[in-house]
Amino acid sequence: MEKKLGLYIHIPFCEHKCDYCDFYSITKFQDHVRFTDTILLQMEDYAEKAAEYEIDTIYIGGGTPTVLPVNRMLEIITGIYRNFNVSPNVEFTMEANPATVNLKMLKRYRKAGVNRLSFGLQSASDEELGGLSRIHTFDEFVESYEMAKKAGFDNINIDLMYGIPGQTQYSLGYTLEQVCDLEPKHISLYGLKIEEGTPFYTKKNRLNLPDEDTEYEMYKYAVEYLAFRGYWQYEISNFAKDGYKSQHNLKYWNCQEYLGIGPSAHSYFDNQRFSYKRSVDMFMDALEYVDAGIDIIEENYTVSPEERVDEYIMLKLRLTEGINVNEFKELFDKDFGEMFEKELKLYIENGFMEHKNGHYCFTTKGMYVSNYILATFMSHDSEITKNIAKGLDK
Amino acid sequence: MSITNDRQKNIRNFSIVAHIDHGKSTLADRILEYTQAVTKREMEEQLLDNMDLERERGITIKARAVKLDYTAPDGQEYVLNLIDTPGHVDFNYEVSRSLNACDGALLVVDSTQGIQAQTLANAYLAVDADLEIVPVINKMDLPAADPDRVRKEIEDVIGIPAEDCPAISAKSGLNIDQVLDKIVSDIPCPKGDVDKPLKALIFDSYYDSYLGVVVYIRVFDGQIKSGDEIYMMGTGARFTVVDVGNMSPFGLAKTDYLAAGDVGYITASIKNVSDTRVGDTVTNAENGVDTALPGFKKAVPMVYAGIYPADGSKYGDLRDALEKLRLNDAALTFEPETSAALGFGFRCGFLGLLHMEIIEERIEREFNLDLITTAPSVIYKIDKKDGETVFIDNPANYPLTDEIDTAYEPMVKASIITPSDYIGGIMELCQDRRGIFIDMTYIDTTRAELHYRLPLNEIIYDFFDALKSRSKGYASLDYEIAEYVPSKLVKLDILLNGDVVDALSFIVHEEKAYGRGRKICEKLKDNIPRQLFEVPIQAAIGGRVIARETVKALRKDVLAKCYGGDITRKKKLLEKQKEGKKKMRTLGTVEVTPEAFMAVLKLDDE
Repeated sequence: MEKKLGLYIHIPFCEHKCDYCDFYSITKFQDHVRFTDTILLQMEDYAEKAAEYEIDTIYIGGGTPTVLPVNRMLEIITGIYRNFNVSPNVEFTMEANPATVNLKMLKRYRKAGVNRLSFGLQSASDEELGGLSRIHTFDEFVESYEMAKKAGFDNINIDLMYGIPGQTQYSLGYTLEQVCDLEPKHISLYGLKIEEGTPFYTKKNRLNLPDEDTEYEMYKYAVEYLAFRGYWQYEISNFAKDGYKSQHNLKYWNCQEYLGIGPSAHSYFDNQRFSYKRSVDMFMDALEYVDAGIDIIEENYTVSPEERVDEYIMLKLRLTEGINVNEFKELFDKDFGEMFEKELKLYIENGFMEHKNGHYCFTTKGMYVSNYILATFMSHDSEITKNIAKGLDK
Repeated sequence: MSITNDRQKNIRNFSIVAHIDHGKSTLADRILEYTQAVTKREMEEQLLDNMDLERERGITIKARAVKLDYTAPDGQEYVLNLIDTPGHVDFNYEVSRSLNACDGALLVVDSTQGIQAQTLANAYLAVDADLEIVPVINKMDLPAADPDRVRKEIEDVIGIPAEDCPAISAKSGLNIDQVLDKIVSDIPCPKGDVDKPLKALIFDSYYDSYLGVVVYIRVFDGQIKSGDEIYMMGTGARFTVVDVGNMSPFGLAKTDYLAAGDVGYITASIKNVSDTRVGDTVTNAENGVDTALPGFKKAVPMVYAGIYPADGSKYGDLRDALEKLRLNDAALTFEPETSAALGFGFRCGFLGLLHMEIIEERIEREFNLDLITTAPSVIYKIDKKDGETVFIDNPANYPLTDEIDTAYEPMVKASIITPSDYIGGIMELCQDRRGIFIDMTYIDTTRAELHYRLPLNEIIYDFFDALKSRSKGYASLDYEIAEYVPSKLVKLDILLNGDVVDALSFIVHEEKAYGRGRKICEKLKDNIPRQLFEVPIQAAIGGRVIARETVKALRKDVLAKCYGGDITRKKKLLEKQKEGKKKMRTLGTVEVTPEAFMAVLKLDDE
């Protein structure tokens, strides 16, 4: 079996919704049986289409997967193994929130096949955690983390955030040190983004957020510090010890196929991108909706050849290894270096990008303004680049 | 059938003049309704202002006329020709020509505000045109109405009797009958001679794609009908009349003839409004009159600005739009110009700033084009050392300092009427704008009229806005162009990342150069997004930098949030960014928001 597939299951439940979060989740929900049954039904639906694939990564995310009753979760896990060909070497991640786990639960999940845990910590400062309206303290997290180790989890990720209210370069340094001392295998460091529709959005002017320059300093410091502690940056926001990159997340950036099941889950399968609507109710009444001719899937579109190139550039350049010119040539029959000769020359000369070992990639400085640069790649507008070149020249 | 002079006895030609917002258009509506030219249901609010833009801004831009049939209480039937006039200083010439087509004018005064600058300016124009002035006090429905005070003001300030003038509410319809009685009893009938050669005044014209130019005229002597050969005395153009008729509230109504005393339209397959200049005299091609009606002048633009399409490829569309607008607007001038920063565009001449704003808005709205407009400039007169005299309407063409012997700038005579509480602030403003105080007179115990001599280039930017903000909206302004005076002028250049941006250069008085340069740099800083490199913004005179700001290099522009498998969203965000980039204007090497050009013009917003 040569075709590989990632599987994502979205558990849209939380004990409490954090003020900055715009992922799809709800806090008051009881009918976990019906929800689980629908996940199982949807998996059966895809079983046939995915028959020729081997599942080599599984990711149960949310929401907070660890708030789902353990027996329901185990039904889902068995359902995965029943419906799909799961590789014996699968990377099987589950997201967990500190203070929502116990040793017994973790042991059962470990036994059921989960071999990677991803904790949402965000900060080691209780004050900052309070500002984010997180439900746990740093100590509670450490307790949960030790529990996970005890339950047999060796491959653990810790999610952190920078650019959060009240944060300083010093407090981020403290958080990084505390977290590195715990020696997780993987650290994700995401930037806070104020999203419309969240409580943070309405009070964004009162949030005491670090400014653009401070954020950049924080980011630069974090990249250097994490490298010093043996966490190598391999993507804009992701850092890992050797051999512990997130195989599932790499699928997103490598334009590989994945199937997402559950409300708001996204898929890239058979050259189609599609997602479930953001509604538990619609999801659970899926059969009735489908009978009534209403699709619970939205944004279902085929990726055109041009879009594939753009997507590839946009996603691959998020990785520190960047674009492999040989692979690019193989996939698109074009020479990346020639296509963007002017752009690449300009960005390399000014320290935003590098060209090494047959790869084009961003430097740390370039990564942090990557949108600006990607927009010039994607618009194929040489005028813009020409002006940037002149501007940088001065 | 013979046409007699007698028929003029039952014709009244009049217009309504007022300060802005004193209710001119509303009164016109009521008169139309009262004479049942239109029923309420048929009537669009403020029918006479038929451009959308006019209605939104609540001002009348171009004159319109309408013929009304009115049966007086004594049973006599009258023809009332109501000629509407523009209500802004930019259009004073048009106002004066419209008034010359009338025999009388209703002077509408707000009963709560009394006489304002344009009340006076318009009253004087009416007096100049020998019109019988019938004062009307409006807005009696408002609780603050004080008709007695306003009556006294009219008598004291304008010097016309007002003791029995109608006190009305155009809004509610109160006492409109009295206004009509006054029109019939006080405004004289026309006294022309139908047997003399044709002598008619053009007071408006517009281009219609089927009829050609439709010319609005007032016939003073003689008569005109289909087939007549006519001659325009000012422009020298000759035409054969196709149709003549009246203006009904709903459009043109053909008639057999127009004769002395009539107001109506003619069409003659005329292709270009510039052949039918407002103020020109129409006479017979053969055996016409020898002397034209007095007062004809060519509309002279006072303010010039570069207009560029935001999207350079729309240059042709912009030219088409300007050409179409010029069909209806002989005061608009334009010629191609190029700017290193903005590409191909046009140098356009306007009567004033309002005229300029109206043209811009019409192009953006009616032709769906996004524009970039450079700072407006007046015309400077330069005596060069080599003896040559040049007139400069574009700062880019301003001669080098070494070449200039004397520079001159145009002045205006400004009249400002304000409640006495704000006199201090307004005098300060005028002084700040290099105004020379002439005198001040008290209209009554609470209001004064200030006279200043001001440089035109100080009032074309934001003077009117500043005046309003310093007087809580109460002060009013009227001005007329005066003479050129010698002045210490300098050309101020703006440099972005070391390059002079020609479209941002302007001429300024030496003393104001530093302050304005500094403010412009600050404003630009707010309108230049951070880019991959640091952008210095400098203001300079000659090679000397007098102000500087810096836009720091972009540090953070990244999707560092966890998006999971939602690639579509990432892509949309980048698409949006790409679109945003397209909207940016590149000046030299620097991306600038399209708003930057307007922002540098609005400097008085402390």
